[in-house]
Amino acid sequence: MAKLRGRGKRTRKPGGLMLNSMMDMFTILLVFLLKQYSAEGSILTNADNLVLPNSASKKKPTEVSLQVAVTQEMILVDNSPVVPTEDIRNIPLDNPDPIDPKLEESLRGHYAQEEEMVRLGALNKVDGKCVIQVDKNMDFDVLYKVMNTCGKVGYNNMNFAVMERES
Amino acid sequence: MKRKKFDDAELNITPFMNLLVVLVPLLLVSAEFAKISIIDLKLPEGRGSQTSKAVKKRPKEEENKLLLTVIITDSVLTLGAKGGFLPSLFYQEFHKYIPKEGGEPVTVKYDPKDPEPPTNAKTGKQFTIHERQEILLYACDDEYKDLHKVLYNSYGEMITDADGRAITEVEVGDSVYALSNPRRVVVVKDKSEFELRPVSVYDELQNRLMKVKDRFQDAEDSDDVIIAAENQVMYDKIVQIMDAARVADFPNISIAKLRG
Repeated sequence: MAKLRGRGKRTRKPGGLMLNSMMDMFTILLVFLLKQYSAEGSILTNADNLVLPNSASKKKPTEVSLQVAVTQEMILVDNSPVVPTEDIRNIPLDNPDPIDPKLEESLRGHYAQEEEMVRLGALNKVDGKCVIQVDKNMDFDVLYKVMNTCGKVGYNNMNFAVMERES
Repeated sequence: MKRKKFDDAELNITPFMNLLVVLVPLLLVSAEFAKISIIDLKLPEGRGSQTSKAVKKRPKEEENKLLLTVIITDSVLTLGAKGGFLPSLFYQEFHKYIPKEGGEPVTVKYDPKDPEPPTNAKTGKQFTIHERQEILLYACDDEYKDLHKVLYNSYGEMITDADGRAITEVEVGDSVYALSNPRRVVVVKDKSEFELRPVSVYDELQNRLMKVKDRFQDAEDSDDVIIAAENQVMYDKIVQIMDAARVADFPNISIAKLRG
């Protein structure tokens, strides 16, 4: 009874705002946001026009490495467009070792940069790591040719970027 | 009588409110809702690109190797290893589109011979490739007519018996296994918790891979799986296969190409 009376009193106060429900809401929101807050931030950025496939993988990208993005229109290396995807498609299918010269040249430039950084002591070793972001509607043919080119240059440690499936 | 004093006592929530008003927008702005993660491809050292010459050199050293391979074309998924293949999984492909303008998702059957996307009944325009949300592969018979249906539980897990075979009927009191790694025993209490659904080839693949893993644990490459795909196979399918392989405890995934 005492409780009920107390409540009645508060609402009758002129100009008094009912903050309780808002507080409840904010507290829940705050807990939710704190829970999903990650201090690391995101290393990978999603290229435009690119829908990554969903995957159950929980592995987080840990270090910054070369990003190769394959969209329906362009192949991008570290966010700068290098060669139209159409060119990659046009490499003949029966080529046992398909390589795109423009992409290879660009990748070699980045690889040389990494080697230079090792020489200057900024990096320990060239680990040849790259993250490949591929549109989920891309056909395997293009992916294979891009991977083959990366491997040829020395980027053997390939990772695929995917969207983490919620649940 | 003393209690009356406390009736009027109120917590001063203003500082807490101030805190909330600052913290909530801050966290909201810095929140990332779409999380990007990565799939690690563990390619063997110095084998970035393997030409046909290199393949010819290899076979002798691979006595105790399993060479497990998942082969995917635009209508069949097969699991093979050294010395044989499991029966192929024929599949029909369904695409789920979510209209940009909002509204109900549309699921349509996809025919590889006629790859044009369907038209949106509301606007009369064709769906774009970006509206395609999901590619679903359902196992069917070898004439591509009937979809196989098996039991799924309410969590969307396939139900199998103790030997890992998919089942179509349960009775109250049966103990069945839900497809997770390791398989989880479920005692049937209520039959309505299970429903017959078209079986996804990814689930069946995971099931088969787990059986292979159990049987060939002593193989040298019992962690490895090769995914061999045809040229026109979509990347999304390959990622889903990788997921199935990873769940079935084959972390070392390599990729190969089927010459067609």
